[in-house]
Amino acid sequence: MSTIAETLPVPVPRPRRARPLGALAALARRRAALTASNPRQILVPLLGPAMLAMIVAPALEVATGGLRTNINYQSFISVGTVGLVVPLSCIFAGLSVIVERHSGAQRELLAAPIPRFYLVLGNLAVALMLAALQVLVLMGLAAVRGASFDITATGLGWFVAAGLLFTVFMYALAETLASLIPTPEEFVGAVPAVAILPFFLSGALFPIAAMPGALTALAKALPLTHALALLRYATVDPSGKGLHDIWGMANVTVEAWLSLAVVAVFAAAMTAISVRVFARAAVS
Amino acid sequence: MQAIEAHALRKIYPGGVQAVKGVDFVVSPGEVFGLLGPNGAGKSTTVGMLTTAVVPTSGVARVAGYDVARQPLQARAVSSVVFQEPVVDAGLSGRANLELHARLWGSDPSRSANRIDELIRSLDLRPLVDRQVRSYSGGQRRRLEIARALVSEPRVLFMDEPTVGLDPRIRRELLEMIASLRSREEVTILITTHYLEEAERLCDRVAIVHEGTVVALDRPAALLSALGHEILEFRVHGNAEAALAGLRARGLAGDDAFAVGARVTVPLHERGASEAMAALEDERVRTSELASRAPTLDDVYLRLTGAQLESAA
Repeated sequence: MSTIAETLPVPVPRPRRARPLGALAALARRRAALTASNPRQILVPLLGPAMLAMIVAPALEVATGGLRTNINYQSFISVGTVGLVVPLSCIFAGLSVIVERHSGAQRELLAAPIPRFYLVLGNLAVALMLAALQVLVLMGLAAVRGASFDITATGLGWFVAAGLLFTVFMYALAETLASLIPTPEEFVGAVPAVAILPFFLSGALFPIAAMPGALTALAKALPLTHALALLRYATVDPSGKGLHDIWGMANVTVEAWLSLAVVAVFAAAMTAISVRVFARAAVS
Repeated sequence: MQAIEAHALRKIYPGGVQAVKGVDFVVSPGEVFGLLGPNGAGKSTTVGMLTTAVVPTSGVARVAGYDVARQPLQARAVSSVVFQEPVVDAGLSGRANLELHARLWGSDPSRSANRIDELIRSLDLRPLVDRQVRSYSGGQRRRLEIARALVSEPRVLFMDEPTVGLDPRIRRELLEMIASLRSREEVTILITTHYLEEAERLCDRVAIVHEGTVVALDRPAALLSALGHEILEFRVHGNAEAALAGLRARGLAGDDAFAVGARVTVPLHERGASEAMAALEDERVRTSELASRAPTLDDVYLRLTGAQLESAA
């Protein structure tokens, strides 16, 4: 053997790696299959919001006389319940992350030759699809009960953008909590703080202007308030009263863009946090 | 190029716990290498660092030439892990678990389909592979775990205590299966265990790990030969260390004789068992369970790790 051959380093063969989209699709398919094998995860988050839209809203309308505006109260509440179904759906999805960490299934995924943030993105893709399905079912049930929606193509754009960004924010929040909270019991204990309290404060059941000034100011800082105002602007409130309550500006389109920007910033920041927290929690 | 390299590998967990205190070893391609030690010795942390689940505090580790700290994706791409606890998705079928592994490891679809069929056949998974994993017994699930780890045709296979918690029959079956991998697969295996018979049976070389350091590393036969062909073992009713000192003073026990609790083990080397027994009588040491036998890896292990092994078991 020559001297050169002896001193040359042994070449390290290039390892096989999954393509990013292929790996993400595999992770999303896995999560979807696990979710489908547990129908409770799909149905349970729908129960409360469906009750609100189909029973509580019509009853309240009769009892209180509604909003005393041109917006139908049932329709107003039906859109508001999206602010409950999405957080509950995302919380359930976050819970399953804790469950698979405890069951050991997450270890196999962490040993795979893929960037670890793919795990968060794969779960997020399924959380988005599931939330979309639940929102559609919820709106459909509300329509059957008498709610009416006036959706234009532009309105649909606002609806999809606001719903999508808010779901991204909520799922990222749930994933962050799942990385930080060790047990399912403690995780479930966080539900009132992240899902129920914002629902009551964000104008889901009544316009935020009906609350005392301090609470109205607090509501304006919640991404859910902005998301709901956009969802209503797209479906039941074409004059943008909810957006005016937040921004107090003359141009409703500008207000809509501003609210969408607020939800987008929350979604982007929370996603970055969730990826960082997950990556840190994944290794010791 | 070595299959696995660990040089001065250390891990200090937050809070100051030193789990691994500078481990060095090299594993050649195709070798079956054992990390043997009691619970808490640092075996799993070492495997954790090699599989990129644990970040080393210092030192260097490479898997198939890839630095685990600098090239974690490449290191994971050429390896697979059989974990101590089950990691397959119980809500999916066995086949779905195998296919998921193939996709995540970037295996060619047609090649991985053939590979999955081959593993299903060779690991006797055919009757159950399309059922949900939650209906599997412990042994069936373990077989699936091994099949899963082999789908991507890894160059290095890490097995972290693969037989822990299994009943003796399933454990025996699994050992046979792991032994058969050597002839079927071109793979380097690093196995951690605290079962000595597993290490003796499966491994080309064994590193005995004690309190985060490697205290011995050699072929099982070489480790055994250090204790000679025969050992004398007995239980002392009284001071075991004093009895051992008496035997040493008479030249009937060497530095490699040891006492763990009341049990004394004396490698005899060229000395006769009857001579040592007579010396015990002369010293008026009260003994029981006196017997001579061939040394086992257990004796090597006990000599090197001492009382810690008792608490670990």
